[in-house]
Amino acid sequence: MSQLEEKTRSQASRAELATGSSSYEHVPPPVNATMKKASQTSKTELLKSIFDSMYVNDGNDQDGKKRIKEHIASDGGYKTREIGYFEYLFYKSLLVILFIIYGIFRYFQFQYNSLKLKIYNIYYNPINTPQLIRQDVTQLNKVPKRLAAILEVKPVGDVGGGVNGLLNDGSKLICWTVSAGIKHLTLYDYDGLLQKNVQQFREDIHIKLVKYYGPSNLPKFAIRIPHANKVYYNEMDENDSEDKKVVIEISLLSNRDGRETIVDLTKTMAELCGNDELKISDITMDLVDSELTQLVGNEPDLLLYFGPALDLQGYPPWHIRLTEFYWEPDNSAVTYSVFIRGLRNYAGAKMNVGK
Amino acid sequence: MDQNIMKEEYNDNNNTTGIGGFNFPGYQSGLSLVKTVLSNTLNTSNNVPQHVGFIMDGNRRYARKSGMRVSEGHEAGFFSMSRVLELCYASGVKTATVYAFSIENFKRSASEVDALMQLAHDRIRQLCENGELAHKYGVRVRVIGDISLLDKKLLEEISLTTKMTQYNTRATLNICFPYTGREEILHSMKDVITTTDGKDLNKIDESTLESHLYTGKLAPLDLLIRTSGVCRLSDFLIWQVVNRGTHIELIDCLWPEFGPAKMAWILLKYAFNKYFTPNEVDSEDVENNANATTESIDNSTILSEPENSSSSSSSVLLKKDSQQISPQPHGIRKEKLQ
Repeated sequence: MSQLEEKTRSQASRAELATGSSSYEHVPPPVNATMKKASQTSKTELLKSIFDSMYVNDGNDQDGKKRIKEHIASDGGYKTREIGYFEYLFYKSLLVILFIIYGIFRYFQFQYNSLKLKIYNIYYNPINTPQLIRQDVTQLNKVPKRLAAILEVKPVGDVGGGVNGLLNDGSKLICWTVSAGIKHLTLYDYDGLLQKNVQQFREDIHIKLVKYYGPSNLPKFAIRIPHANKVYYNEMDENDSEDKKVVIEISLLSNRDGRETIVDLTKTMAELCGNDELKISDITMDLVDSELTQLVGNEPDLLLYFGPALDLQGYPPWHIRLTEFYWEPDNSAVTYSVFIRGLRNYAGAKMNVGK
Repeated sequence: MDQNIMKEEYNDNNNTTGIGGFNFPGYQSGLSLVKTVLSNTLNTSNNVPQHVGFIMDGNRRYARKSGMRVSEGHEAGFFSMSRVLELCYASGVKTATVYAFSIENFKRSASEVDALMQLAHDRIRQLCENGELAHKYGVRVRVIGDISLLDKKLLEEISLTTKMTQYNTRATLNICFPYTGREEILHSMKDVITTTDGKDLNKIDESTLESHLYTGKLAPLDLLIRTSGVCRLSDFLIWQVVNRGTHIELIDCLWPEFGPAKMAWILLKYAFNKYFTPNEVDSEDVENNANATTESIDNSTILSEPENSSSSSSSVLLKKDSQQISPQPHGIRKEKLQ
């Protein structure tokens, strides 16, 4: 069935040619920094937002646009009626009170979470030593075979922001994964910046691995970009590529590998069906699954997210069926504590498919 | 008369699964008043999620914990569901999708599967009887999933219910029975392939596939709630949930213990976050993003050559060359080009 796979790939590149642009040039998504503003970072911001809420409410009052209320009639059915101005005002002010209560709660929750994260960061601190990470991991009775992580690019002005920050986060994560003895790592970023900067990424990984393992016994790695069907190895211009035994295989995915790949596969299958090369009854779960595994990769066992609240941002939907998620509330940094706590959490999780 | 008896039974069950054994005079009406006020308040926020998905996990653990039979645990889960849904619809949620039974659940013991089927058979029509959920809030009930796996008796009941409620337009309840997300995607793919019939292939895109999903014509999923503290989707709405901005809420309590109060708290949280999350991208951030992309373009100029070569190689593939190029040497070759 690799013929089908190749056709799907060609389908994809044809679509790119047709639009006259590379698939990477997506409409830029709302930058993540704006999303992170949801969690109030300071007292003043929090206060401001509460007062904003009052303001917003006043604005809505003047609009008075949605002053209808669903009313349960005497026969038990429902009907809508306009609610009076004072009733509306009553509910609105109640809402403001609730928002203030929630805001205060949220403020303390945020402080608590950030304190917790700070303590964890002190407690779990590997300082570039694979042995310590190894020690942490050997305590666990179950380690995921395949690990995935969603990375986000931060605004250039921030600490660890921009593309360089993203590459740095990725290479840190790779070092931890190698040290933990996990053989497959999938790195996902929405815009595919890791894929675009793969050369620089290789150098970054190299530098980081030297830091962890020393220049003499560097672990071998392979970077796979399933969408472009390419594989890269450690050294830039190495000739002895026969030796393909690698310690870790890294797959770089982007939004392109998600729903769009399923669309491409559908197109290919539709074409084959139109030419009577494939019957509709032949399209089974197993076929689609094996095709998508070839095109994108395997389903990870554990998915780490280093943002404040889980947002899957277009991660390949087919591949998150039974994946365990882990993230720390109100965290926004790629830190070792999140990594190891994710692994610990996974070791404690019980898996029962349907049972 | 018959209905009244049923209603009483419903209320009885409601009490037993409710909070403790409070039953002083006026308690029930007070509770419902609080509920009404709360839902109206949430409704005025104009920031209620349009589509909420529920993974109702923990019925069996609840039964084990409180010394019930497994089927009683599922029964308790059903009442919890109707109370939660009532609050949702009263607050202005347009669509709710509940994960009642997974295709994988057929692997469970035969007696439990039978009990679940019996529960579905008994309760599904009750949902739309006079004064019950569907009638009260104008809910269209749909059963989605691979229903061909169900037996004939249950299918009749389902088609009866869906027919009874098909003209309700205010809200929708999707009951996933028996459902898996992968099956949904596969079903949509097949649907698209049969409808296009080899023509207009370029018109197929994400929205085409999405419109052929079981939840195709409904609002996009805004909020997914899973109880019992497990961080997995278990094959529920996998296509819909990866959307940017879909909130995922994991609650560490068993489903029968998840009541309207917790639901109201989640809805409040959702509305709060919606209010204070700027929807527009800040101009500063746009600038940053632009910087980031130009930077990356600089870096990717090296890559542009192999990309061209990959498109030319794809045109070779278009000639339906059966010659198979294994992916790995392919990649290495490109490496050397650089």
